[in-house]
Amino acid sequence: MIASILDGIVLGFQFGLLGAGLTLVYGMGGVLNLAYGQMGVIAAITASLAMDAGASVLPAVGLGLIAGGLLGLLLDRTILRPVYRLRDEARVLLSLLLTLGVAFIVDGFLNWRYPLKALNLFISGGAIEILEVPMRRGSLLASAITLVIMALLFVFFRYTILGQAVRSVIEDEEGARLVGIDPNRMMRLILVLSGVLAALVAITRSMVIPVDVQAGFPITVFALIVAVVGGLGSVPGALLAGLILGIVNSIAASTIGTFMSLVILLAAAAVTILIRPSGILGVAE
Amino acid sequence: MSEHASATGTSAIGGTEPGVSRSLPSLLGFIAVVGAALALVPLWTGDSRVLMGVAVLGLTFACYTIGFNVIFGSTGQLFLCVGALAGIGGYGAVILADTVGLPIIAGILLATLAAGLTGGLLSFVAVRRSLGVIFTGIVTLIFSLTFEALLLGLGELTGGENGFLIKSGADSFAREQIPPYYLMLTLVLIFLLAHGLLRRSFIGWAFRALRDDEVAAALAGVDIARYRVFAAFIGSAMLGLAGATYAFTEGRISPTTFEFATIDVVAMVMLAFGGIGTLFGPIAGAVTFTIVDEVLIEIGQLRHVAYGALIIALFLWMRRGLLPTAAELWTKNRRNEWKK
Repeated sequence: MIASILDGIVLGFQFGLLGAGLTLVYGMGGVLNLAYGQMGVIAAITASLAMDAGASVLPAVGLGLIAGGLLGLLLDRTILRPVYRLRDEARVLLSLLLTLGVAFIVDGFLNWRYPLKALNLFISGGAIEILEVPMRRGSLLASAITLVIMALLFVFFRYTILGQAVRSVIEDEEGARLVGIDPNRMMRLILVLSGVLAALVAITRSMVIPVDVQAGFPITVFALIVAVVGGLGSVPGALLAGLILGIVNSIAASTIGTFMSLVILLAAAAVTILIRPSGILGVAE
Repeated sequence: MSEHASATGTSAIGGTEPGVSRSLPSLLGFIAVVGAALALVPLWTGDSRVLMGVAVLGLTFACYTIGFNVIFGSTGQLFLCVGALAGIGGYGAVILADTVGLPIIAGILLATLAAGLTGGLLSFVAVRRSLGVIFTGIVTLIFSLTFEALLLGLGELTGGENGFLIKSGADSFAREQIPPYYLMLTLVLIFLLAHGLLRRSFIGWAFRALRDDEVAAALAGVDIARYRVFAAFIGSAMLGLAGATYAFTEGRISPTTFEFATIDVVAMVMLAFGGIGTLFGPIAGAVTFTIVDEVLIEIGQLRHVAYGALIIALFLWMRRGLLPTAAELWTKNRRNEWKK
C-alpha cells in the first residue's frame, strides 16, 4: 500500500506539471491545445536522435527542451493567429480543432519517419529504500527534477515582474493592456513555456518507462483530465489534482488492474466536472 | 460572426444550404437522386471484395456523420463519443445475439435503444449542469475513453484487445459481397429522410432557433433542455443502429472498430468538410473522404499528415464547409450573371 502511494506521488508530480502546462495556456488565452502531448513527443524524439548522433545526455535533453519550446512558438506564430481574433467558446473550439490537425501532422510524420524510435533514459544503479520501500533511482531523479521545476514556476509567477505580468493577463486581459502589458507577447511566452513543460515531463517520464512516438495522444488526455479536475486555468489546482489522480491511479492499478484503474481515473474526472465544473481549485464563473 | 458565436460556438463554424429541402417533394427528390447515384457504385466496385468493403465502410461513416450532425450540427452539443455510442450499438447487439441468444433483429433494436438512451442521458446531464460546448466535449471524450478502457478491461465479455468473430448471421446475406452495401445504403437513406423530416417539422425550427441564439430561443419559449436531449437521443440511436448493422456485415468486432481516433476524428472531418448543420453535407463529406482515403492508401502513415493539414485548411479557410460555400458561390455567380 505504501509502495503504491509512493509510486502514485512520483506519477502525481508529473501529472501535475503536465496539467499545469496545458491549463496555463487555457487560462491565458482560452486556447485548448490538443497538440500538447505531441510537443513532449517531439522533444523526446529530438533528444533520442541527438543521442544517436553521438551527443551526451545533457546536451541532448537541452535540444529536446528547445524543440518543445520551438513548437510552442511556431503554434503561436502560425495557426493560432486567426484563433486570437475570435472570442470565448468559438475561440476554444477553433483552437481545439486546429491543434488537433497539428497533432495529426506530428503523429503521422513521426510514425512514418521514425516508427520505432523511443527515448529511454534509464538510470542505472540499485534501488534506494524510502519508508522501507525500494524505489527506482529513475523515479526519484524524475521526481526531484519535477519538484525543482515546480519551485521555479512558483518563484517565477510570484516574484518576477514577468511572472506577475502573465498573471495579470490571466486575471484581466483588458486591465493588463491598460497598464502597458502586451497580452500577445505574454501568450507567446506561455506557449513556449508550455512546450518546455511538456518536453520536461516527456523526458523525465523516459527515466521510468520509454516514451515512444505514439505517446502524444495519451499525454494530452492525461493533461486534459488533470487540468479539468484541477480547474481549467488554475496552476495550483493542476498540481494538486495531479497529485491526487496520480495516487488514485497507482492504488487502483495495483489492486484491480491497469484498464480498470483508467476507468476509475476517468470516472473521478467526470464526477469532478459534474459536481464542480470549475474544478477543485478553480474559481466559479 | 464572432460576437454571436459565443452563444453556442457552432454557429461560427456551421452553415446552412439554402434552397434544399424546402418542400416535401424536393426533399424526397434530392434523397432519391442521392440514393440512385450511390446505388450505382457496385457497378464499378462490385468485383472487388476489398473495394466493396471500403464502400460499405464509407456508407457506415455517412451514417455516423448524419448521427453526429443531428446532435452537434442541429443543437450545438459537441459529442466526442461517436465511436463509443456506435460501439454500444455494435457490442450490445453482438453480445445480445451471440452470448445471450436473442434473434439478431431484437439484439440490434435493443442495442440501438441503449445507445439512444446513453446519448440522451449524457445530454441530460450536460444540460442539467449547463456545461458549455467545451465541457460537453470533455465529458463525452472522457466517456469515450472509459468505454474503450471497459472494452479492454471486461475481456471475458468483449474478447479484449482482439475482439471476437460474430457467430450469429454467419451464413446470412449480411456477409455476402454486395448485399451489405445496399443494407447500409438503405440505412443512409432512412437517416437522411428522418433528418430531413425533422428539419421540416416544428422540432427543426426549434433546433435552428436554439443553435443560432440560445438565449433568444429560450425567451421565445423554446424548451432548450427538451430539444437538446431529444436531438441527442435520436442522433445516438442512429449511431448505435449504424454501429450494430456494420458489426454484423463485418463478421468480427474489436475495440479498433469503434476507436475514438478512427471514428470520431474522421466523422468530424467529414461533417466539417460537407458543412455542419446541413442535410446533405454528411453524404458529400463521407463520399469525398472515402475516395480520398482510398487514393492516399499508398502513402501509409503520411495519410495522417494529409488529414491534419486538411483539418487545418478546412477550419482556416472553409469554415462553413463544402455545400454552404458552394451554395454561396453559386448564388453569387447567378446574381452576377443577372447583373450583366
